[in-house]
Amino acid sequence: MNTSTKQQFTIEGKRAAPGIAIGEAVVISSESKTVTPASIKQKEVADHKERFNEAKLSLVAQLEEMSIGLSDAATAGIIDTQSEIIKDPELEKSVFDIIENKLLSVDFAVYQTYCTFIEKLKESGSELFRQRIIDLEDIRDRFIAEVCDQKSVRSIKKGSVIIAREISPTDLVAFYEDGASGLVMEKGGTTAHAAIIAKSLGMPCIVNAKRASKEAVKGEQVILNADEGALILRPSKETLNGFKKRLKAQKVAAKKKCAEGFETKDGVPYKLLANIEFEAELNNVGENGAQGIGLLRTEGLLFGKRVRKSTEEQEAFYEQIVSGTEGPVTIRLFDIGGDKNARRPQKEANPFLGWRGIRLLLDEKKLLRSQLQAILTVAGKYPGKVKILVPMVSVIDEVRQIRNEIEKVQGALLSSGVDIDEEIPLGLMVEVPSVAISAYQFAREVDFMSIGSNDLTQYTLAVDRGNERIHTLFQHYHPSVLKLAEMTVKGARKADIEVSVCGELAGDEIGAACLFGLGIRELSMVPSSVSTINELLSSHSSEDFSRLANKAIELSSSEELEQFYEEWK
Amino acid sequence: MIKKKITIKNSAGLHARPSAQLVKLASKFESDFYIHSYGYRVNGKSILGVMTLAAEHGAELELELDGSDEEDALEAIVDAIDNKFGMADE
Repeated sequence: MNTSTKQQFTIEGKRAAPGIAIGEAVVISSESKTVTPASIKQKEVADHKERFNEAKLSLVAQLEEMSIGLSDAATAGIIDTQSEIIKDPELEKSVFDIIENKLLSVDFAVYQTYCTFIEKLKESGSELFRQRIIDLEDIRDRFIAEVCDQKSVRSIKKGSVIIAREISPTDLVAFYEDGASGLVMEKGGTTAHAAIIAKSLGMPCIVNAKRASKEAVKGEQVILNADEGALILRPSKETLNGFKKRLKAQKVAAKKKCAEGFETKDGVPYKLLANIEFEAELNNVGENGAQGIGLLRTEGLLFGKRVRKSTEEQEAFYEQIVSGTEGPVTIRLFDIGGDKNARRPQKEANPFLGWRGIRLLLDEKKLLRSQLQAILTVAGKYPGKVKILVPMVSVIDEVRQIRNEIEKVQGALLSSGVDIDEEIPLGLMVEVPSVAISAYQFAREVDFMSIGSNDLTQYTLAVDRGNERIHTLFQHYHPSVLKLAEMTVKGARKADIEVSVCGELAGDEIGAACLFGLGIRELSMVPSSVSTINELLSSHSSEDFSRLANKAIELSSSEELEQFYEEWK
Repeated sequence: MIKKKITIKNSAGLHARPSAQLVKLASKFESDFYIHSYGYRVNGKSILGVMTLAAEHGAELELELDGSDEEDALEAIVDAIDNKFGMADE
């Protein structure tokens, strides 16, 4: 730790969302492997015991959330076991004993208690029981995270900068709503889920900032200069004043910039839409000039602290978004799985190639039908405004099954006297290369297609986008990805349907220019990128973009494309 | 207080899932529940306790129940163990 030296100190990271934030550091340490004993005062005993109880209830509630729709006995058994472990009376006795009699903090009490039991299991010598140790360590770490989490969420000041190893999307939104103004993560690439959300919320964010949570001291003022990928600790007065001025100037400039027209120099029209997940983001949509919502993520309704999974709660959420948006709203069905499924008890060796998206929904009919019912009810109230988007399609039969489900739910709604939008468009996400390659065959089955460039890149280049060791391999305008986009456009044209793009690629200057050149006229992106992309698209002619795109798909790497783009520009 | 000796019949032993079932069942009763095994004595309402017994197939356990509903509790627990907790052997 550098606390003794009072000197200014900069930690470098990678920019994930632009901007500058100045505020108190809120350090979230999720490293539970080395919990050290911290002593507490007698009067704090009750508080620490209370925190244990709250964490216990919260963990059990999370397990119950997870079990939605999971009807098979094996999974139910695993959840039962975890739940019984969390509620274990001997565990509680030991934790309370450490807090009350040794006057040590609750996180350490949990740590030591679990470690004692783990030691006993190790001694048992049975291979079968040794395997259970991993489960216990997992629960122990979640318990400690939960206990620490509550502490940090409770006390944040407006304008705080959150510094964490990594953070869940829902925690980030909770911090945002409490007034946090910036995010620094030690782990993850720029496409980690939390980083994408930070960008969408207009929160400056850097990732890959090594040792940030160890070097930063809670409560000290820090400067997050995400534009240049830097976190400045213990800034000098001069530095601080300089950044305060810059921050002010940026805010003024942003207000002035307003969307003008949505057409190229030679008059070819296009649509720019917003990707959002939370109601809190609705403000950003209009403010930045987006013409509607091209991607509403819904899986946030299922996990974490803001669960709203009943049909009625979902309906209220969708209605709030649809009525609060001027243009069309494309609702994507629950895209659970992959990195958005970290808490699911059944560990898969390859979660990104596993049970996710539509594959999971078709197995969990109750969950699927409740979502369809909520969406279709809202769509009936606002005919022509809502579209349905299916995630993670890899074979045609999945689309047919979904259409069948939609018709069933519509039939049921009609017979109970609820209005429906009979023409509601159904689209599929182009994320798996198979769909792009056989685009025409897929396009014949749907009303529109939307390219999810993040997953398409991940599956094309075989790069896990959350893995920091290989994040440089995740190049989202790799020519191979653009080629798949071109194939998609061709197939869609033949079937006479529209293609849009709703991944990071659409909000990236090079990406947007190439996609437009390939013939895509609808781009959906984080709201804060709309004005930049509009400026780019409106200042060139459609021919310029075609020339760029035709060259781009012939290149052999992202670097070459970057170079060519600079010349083209 | 009543005691009874039993033998574990699950082929995989008293691993996590049967332990959870046993604890869940025992927790429904008022009576205190302890399990003795090879010199150890653990709280039968604690899954961590039961798991640390590491009772494998054929292990001999002594159940100890003490409380107002001890007879009913013992009967229910012995039933569950004899029926291998309603699970097919894996």
